[in-house]
Amino acid sequence: MTVQRIKTKVMTVLGLALVLTGLWQTGSGAWIYMKAQLAQVLLQRAWAGTLAGQQDVKPWPWADTWPIARLVVPSLGIDQIVLEGAYGRTLAFGPGHVESTGPLEGTGSIILTGHRDTHFRFMEKLQTGERILLQARTGVWHRFTVQDRQIVDSRTATISTQEDKRQLILVTCYPFHAIVPGGPLRYMVIAEIVERMAEDKP
Amino acid sequence: MLYAHLRSSIVRLCLCALLTAFPLLTHPTATLLAQPAESLSTGVIPTMGIDEVTEGTLLFKTNQLGRYTPAPILKTDVQIAVTGIIARATVRQEFTNPSQKKGDWLEGIYVFPLPETAAVDHLRMHVGERIIEGQIKERAEAKKVYEKAKQEGKRTSLVEQERPNIFTTSVANIGPGERIIVEIEYQETVRYDQGKFQLRFPMVVGQRYIPGTPVIVEDQDPKGLGTILDTDRVSDASRITPPAQEPGQGSINPVSLSLSLTPGFPVAKVESLFHPVIVISDPDGGYQISLKKDAVPADRDFQLTWSPAPSKEPAATIFTEQRGGETYAMLMLVPPTQQNDAAPHMPRDLTFVIDTSGSMAGPSIEQAKTSLAAALTRLTTQDRFNVIQFNNRVRSLFPSPQPVTTAAMRKAIRYVEGLSADGGTEMLPALRQALKSSQDIARLQQIVLITDGQVGNEDELFELLHHRLGTRRVFTIGIGSTPNSHLMRKTAEFGRGTFTYVGNVSEVKDKLDALFKKLEQPVLNDIQLDRTGWTALEHYPSRIADLYEGEPIVLALKATSLPDQAILRGLMGTQPWSLPVSMKQATTRGGLSVYWARQKISALTDEAFTGTAEETVREGVLDVALAHHLVSKYTSLVAVDVTPVRPTGKPETEQPQSARSAEDQEKTAMAELPKTGTDGQVQLLLGLLLLATVAILWRVQRATE
Repeated sequence: MTVQRIKTKVMTVLGLALVLTGLWQTGSGAWIYMKAQLAQVLLQRAWAGTLAGQQDVKPWPWADTWPIARLVVPSLGIDQIVLEGAYGRTLAFGPGHVESTGPLEGTGSIILTGHRDTHFRFMEKLQTGERILLQARTGVWHRFTVQDRQIVDSRTATISTQEDKRQLILVTCYPFHAIVPGGPLRYMVIAEIVERMAEDKP
Repeated sequence: MLYAHLRSSIVRLCLCALLTAFPLLTHPTATLLAQPAESLSTGVIPTMGIDEVTEGTLLFKTNQLGRYTPAPILKTDVQIAVTGIIARATVRQEFTNPSQKKGDWLEGIYVFPLPETAAVDHLRMHVGERIIEGQIKERAEAKKVYEKAKQEGKRTSLVEQERPNIFTTSVANIGPGERIIVEIEYQETVRYDQGKFQLRFPMVVGQRYIPGTPVIVEDQDPKGLGTILDTDRVSDASRITPPAQEPGQGSINPVSLSLSLTPGFPVAKVESLFHPVIVISDPDGGYQISLKKDAVPADRDFQLTWSPAPSKEPAATIFTEQRGGETYAMLMLVPPTQQNDAAPHMPRDLTFVIDTSGSMAGPSIEQAKTSLAAALTRLTTQDRFNVIQFNNRVRSLFPSPQPVTTAAMRKAIRYVEGLSADGGTEMLPALRQALKSSQDIARLQQIVLITDGQVGNEDELFELLHHRLGTRRVFTIGIGSTPNSHLMRKTAEFGRGTFTYVGNVSEVKDKLDALFKKLEQPVLNDIQLDRTGWTALEHYPSRIADLYEGEPIVLALKATSLPDQAILRGLMGTQPWSLPVSMKQATTRGGLSVYWARQKISALTDEAFTGTAEETVREGVLDVALAHHLVSKYTSLVAVDVTPVRPTGKPETEQPQSARSAEDQEKTAMAELPKTGTDGQVQLLLGLLLLATVAILWRVQRATE
C-alpha cells in the first residue's frame, strides 16, 4: 500500500519534471525562432532612425549592437537588418557584419554571417546570378550578383578579401538541416558588386 | 626635451592642401568619403607653439590646441591641351621644404582633386637637373617600392587614386631647403551638354562632410594632419580634410594655368566662367588661353566653355598620333546645329515599351502617359506603332506595329489613358515581344523602353539584344532614382540607341518630349567606317551609334597603317551618305593612344557583363593599363631616384609601422567567424520528445490501472 503510494508519487514527480523539461526545451527552442523574428521588427524601426541620420540607433534599450545595413534579396522576399558585429549574441537577432572586414561604406569586401536555421536559411535557395541588395547607413544601395557558392571546412579554409575589390560574402553553417549544431562545415556565397546607386530603394 | 627630440627626427608631414572637387561638394555623402585608404602617415608629427616660430613658416593647425606644424610649400602650374573632346593636362607640383634646420627631412603628401573622368598616365620627378620617370605598377607593388625607397633614404614619389576623383602625390625625403618638382599628366573627356563643350579644372578649397563618430586610438597618432579626426566611418578622415584657409589670407598654394584649344570644328564662342582669361585665336582654328593674372589663389574652379558655330551639315574631323609603330586616331562626327528640313523623312516603326509595375505608380506613370499620348499624336500616316506594357505579365496593344489610322490611334490613346501601375517587373519578355516585329531597312525601327524599376537578368537581356536587334534601335528611359542605371545605359549601348535619365519625376514630361522629338529625325543612321585602306583596325565603340542632333559621335581608332582618306558612310533619311575625311591634314596631337586605351578598358569591363570571367577582364585591363601608363583600379605610378640622399639609420625607428604583411590583411580565417547554427532545432526536438514520452507513460499508466 505504502509502497504503491510512494511509487505513484515518484511517478507523478518524475512525470511533472519531464513535462516541465519538455515545455522548457520546446519553449526555449521556439523562443530562438520567435526572437529572430521579433528582433527584426524592432530592428526595422531602428533602421528607419538610422537612415534618418541618427547615430548607432539601439533597437532596444539594452542592446549592445546596432543596425548597420539592410539586406534585401528580392527573388526570395528577404528583407533583413544587418547588425554590427558577428557574435553569438548578435546573431540571435539578425545577420552580423564581421567587423574586421571593413566598413560597409568602404571599397573592400564585406563578410556577413547568419544562422543557417533562422536568418540565413534563404542561402540554401540562393542561386548563381541572383541579385542581392545591401543598403548602407548612408542610404546608398549596393547591388550584388551571386557569382559563386562553396562548401568549405572552417578548420582549414580562409576567405580572401581584397581591399579594393568589393565583394559580399555570406557565410552560414552547413549542412542546412543538420539537427545538431556546431559542425565544421560552412556554406559560403560570394557576390560581386554590380553597381552602387545613390538615393532610394528600387 | 621631447619636443627637441621630435624635431630632430625625420618627420612625416601631411600637407593636405586639399582642393575639393566639385562633385564632392554636391554629394557630401559618405559614399565617396568613407572608403578606407591605406595609411601613409602613421608617424610622429612634430608640433610647435605659435611663440616658438622663429622664421616665416607656413603653419598648419594640429589636433592639439595651440600647436602647429610647419609644412612643405607647394606651387602648382597647370597646362591643358584640348583636342576635340580630349583634354590632356600637365600638372606640376613644386614641393619646397622651408626648413633650414639640419635633419628636418620632410615627406610631403599632397591630396588634390582631379575631374572624375581623369586618367593619370605619367609621373615625373625633377630633382635638380635630373628627371626621374615614374613607372606604372600594380598598386600594392608601387606602394611597396615607394615605402622601400623611403626607408632607404632615397627620394621617391607616388601617385595614388584615393577616390575616383581624389589623388594623392607623396614625395619622400625632401631635404632642408630643397625643392622637388612632381609632374603628373592626365587626360579626361570634355563634357558636352546643351550644345556646349565644358572643361573644368577643380581648384576649390572646400570643407567636406565627414560622417561618423571620432575615434581616437590612444598611443597612436591620427593618420593625417587634417582638421577632422578619423571617425568610425571615415577611417582616413584626417587625411582628406586639410586645414581650411580663410578667404583673403593670400595665395598659399598659388595656381597658374594655360590652355591650348583645338576644338576640331568652327567655334562660335569661348568663355571662361569664373576667371578672367586672355583668348588668342590661332590661324588654324585653335585658341591659346591663359589667365589674366599669372597665378590665382585656389579658391574657385576653372571652367571653360565653347560652342560650335551654326551649321547645316554634319562635319567630321580626325586627329592622329604615332606611338610605338602604331597610329592612334580620334574621329569626331559633329551633328549640324540646325535641322536640315530638306532631308527626306524616313517612315518609322515606333514601339513603346512601358513599365507599369507598382513602383511606377503616382507621378511617374502619369507623366509618362501624358508624353506618350503626345508622342502618338505626332506620328505621321506613313509611320507604324505599337504599345507594350509590362508588369508581371506582358500586354501588347497590337500583335505587331500597326499603321497610323484614326481608329488605331483612338484605340491607342484610350489604351494609354487606361494604363495603371501595379505588380512586378518582367522586362525580358516585353523586350522579346518588341523584337518580334519584322525587320525593314526602309524604316526606322525604334523601340523606346520606359522604366523606373529594377530589372535583373541583364546577361539574358544583352544576349537577346545581341542576337535579335537587327536593324532596330533601343532607346532607354530611366525614371526616378533608377537603381539599375547601369543596365539601362548598357541596354541602350547594345541596342545602338541612347539612354535618357530622368532623375526628377517632375521632369519626366519635358525630357520625354525632347527625346521623342529628337527620335523623329536622326541626322544620320547606319554609320559605318569604310575599312578599306586600314590594316589591323581596332575601334571603339565597335558599333557606331546613330547621329542625333546635339550629340557628337567620337571614335577611338588604332591601326598599323592608314588610308589617305577615312570614309564614313551612312544613311541620311533614306539617302546614302558618305563623308571623306582627309587624313593628310590630320592634326597630330598627343594623348590619343591614352584615349583609345581608356575606351578599350571600358569595352573590356563591359565584357564582364556578357559572360567573360572577371580574371580575364582584369588581365586584359592590366595589359592595356600597363602598356599605356594608366593609373587605374589595379595600377599606380611610382618614381624612385636610385641615389640615397638621406643618411639612413636612426630616424626610421621613430616611425611606427604596422608589422602585418599584406597577405595577412587580405585573409579572414574562417575559424574566426562565429558558429552559425542555433540549438533551436535540437531543443524543440528534445522538448517535444520529452512531452511525447510523458504522454505515452501517462496513457500506459492509465491503461494498467
